[in-house]
Amino acid sequence: MDDQACPRCKTTKYRNPSLKLMVNVCGHTLCESCVDLLFLKGSGSCPECNVPLRRSNFRVQMFEDPMVEKEIDIRKRVLKDYNKKEEDFETLREYNDYLEEIETIIFNLTNNIDVVNTNKRIEQYKKDNREIIMKNKVKIGQEELELEEILEIEKQMEELRRTEVVRLELEAKKQKIREKEALIDELMFADGDAKEILNTFAQNVASKQEEAVPPLPLVTQFSTGVKFTCGSAQSHLPVIEEGPLYRYEPPITPDRIGPDPPTIEEIINEGYLQHVKAENDTEKAGGYTSTLPCLRALQDALAGLYHTS
Amino acid sequence: MFSTSTQRKFWTFSDETELARLREKHNLQYISKHGSNTDEYQPYNIFLSPEEEGLLLKQYELHMKEFCKRFSPPMPKGVVGTAFHYFKRFYLYNSTMDYHPKEILATCVYLACKVEEFNVSIGQFVANIKGDREKASDIILNNELLLMQQLNYHLTIHNPFRPVEGFLIDIKTRCTLPNPERLRSGIDEFLEKVFLTDACLLYAPSQIALAAVLHSASKEQENLDSYVTEILFIDAGPDKLAILIEAVRKIRSLVKMVENPVRERVKIIEKKLDRCRNQENNPDSEIYKRRMRETLDEDDMPYSGTSRMSLDTSGVTQVLSPSAS
Repeated sequence: MDDQACPRCKTTKYRNPSLKLMVNVCGHTLCESCVDLLFLKGSGSCPECNVPLRRSNFRVQMFEDPMVEKEIDIRKRVLKDYNKKEEDFETLREYNDYLEEIETIIFNLTNNIDVVNTNKRIEQYKKDNREIIMKNKVKIGQEELELEEILEIEKQMEELRRTEVVRLELEAKKQKIREKEALIDELMFADGDAKEILNTFAQNVASKQEEAVPPLPLVTQFSTGVKFTCGSAQSHLPVIEEGPLYRYEPPITPDRIGPDPPTIEEIINEGYLQHVKAENDTEKAGGYTSTLPCLRALQDALAGLYHTS
Repeated sequence: MFSTSTQRKFWTFSDETELARLREKHNLQYISKHGSNTDEYQPYNIFLSPEEEGLLLKQYELHMKEFCKRFSPPMPKGVVGTAFHYFKRFYLYNSTMDYHPKEILATCVYLACKVEEFNVSIGQFVANIKGDREKASDIILNNELLLMQQLNYHLTIHNPFRPVEGFLIDIKTRCTLPNPERLRSGIDEFLEKVFLTDACLLYAPSQIALAAVLHSASKEQENLDSYVTEILFIDAGPDKLAILIEAVRKIRSLVKMVENPVRERVKIIEKKLDRCRNQENNPDSEIYKRRMRETLDEDDMPYSGTSRMSLDTSGVTQVLSPSAS
């Protein structure tokens, strides 16, 4: 790291620990202060290769070798257009050839071999495959969006879990303090043996610890109840909690203050129906049977016969 | 079911003296309220005595029976029974001098038509009334809410008509009596008379129905005693049978005692009533008309519909609870 230095002002990391090296598309480094100086107007040429550069394209150098940075840049640019996927090819061989071609182009551009022809090749490719490129761009965009969403949600869940842990810890601490105070109060005002009080408190604490803090709910779900691994084969069914089963209790029949009327079965079987108007077909269609009116008349006749005031 | 009904709980009394006491109480209440400047020792020179009120009500019950027969299509028996119940209940807690029976009579029948689902519009209803029909419909609609309030909104009535059907079915099924249908005319006659007595304020509808059936049977020279003792009351103790026998005997004697009041006597009473009735509740009086005008003036036009109600219920100062007395 010590030999990292700005090629222009020769400042090293050793002399200036806050030295930040920047790199642009051409792959040549400059320190931050030199960039500020040279690109005051927003654009200028590289002091080493005279390639015209823009200031907004400078970024912090991540790798020690600036050529890697250059390659990353070029790869990004090339892959924007060469965005075909395996599905777009008929055979594996064709796909591999395609990958090989990409690598060749990137290598050429990075090492300045046959730049003009390579650029022409890219242009030609763009023209030939415009439709596929556009389609794949949209597809990739969607995939990226989904990924981002998942990341965002994971972050939120993590945050929730952290606050929960903090809260629980705080509560535990408070509980401990309360217990201590209670113990002291007890020792101060109770008449019992001090040792005994200490013992009972120790037992209490022990039993409480046994109860233990309920384990934190595992973060495996979004707040909507959808699992993180959404779209995977195992679909998640919500578990419905079941209460106790409903038990039917027949309503209490009030005291009729009279003899018991016959039941519906008795009305049907013991010939009561012979003495009431039978239902006709039209009434039957509506669900009417003469049994219930017959029962009602009998009930009304017998209810209240024992009445006294 | 009758055993759990408001009819049993609030409107079935232990005996006739209780009814008489209630009626006398409200008669005296009216006199003490309105008779401050009359002879204290002989209030009945001006006001109606409880006995006179009773006679008057008997007469109006007859009127009610006639009135109900005027309807076409004929009114079901249940409606008539319900109307009689309402009429009797109303005058247990009100004096005839406070509310004229001819007005309450029509209101009772109108309300009974509604409750028993015998569909008659007010226009069709007053078509059966002689005299000024518009005034009549006004009176009925004015009094309807008052009547319901005085009944404590206990509008469901258990009439003896369905129990009679039940007994006939049961007799046909479990008894060897030949051709029970011939009892019907006797039963109907008996039930018509029952509603001119206080029996429906004293006994259960099934007891009244059984009394009607037994009465009709004895008229046909049949004896259903064995049906009652050996089939109906086979599981019940002798004490319960005794209660029923007493009830049936009492209902039959009540019906036997029914007699129409003397015309001349009632005419005198009606004249007396015209002088001593509460003028605030008389739609022909100046006080009533003035009050009507005042309430109409007080309420603005949009409220004129409801002013009618507020007008009449304003005359009711106490909400009566039958259980409270």
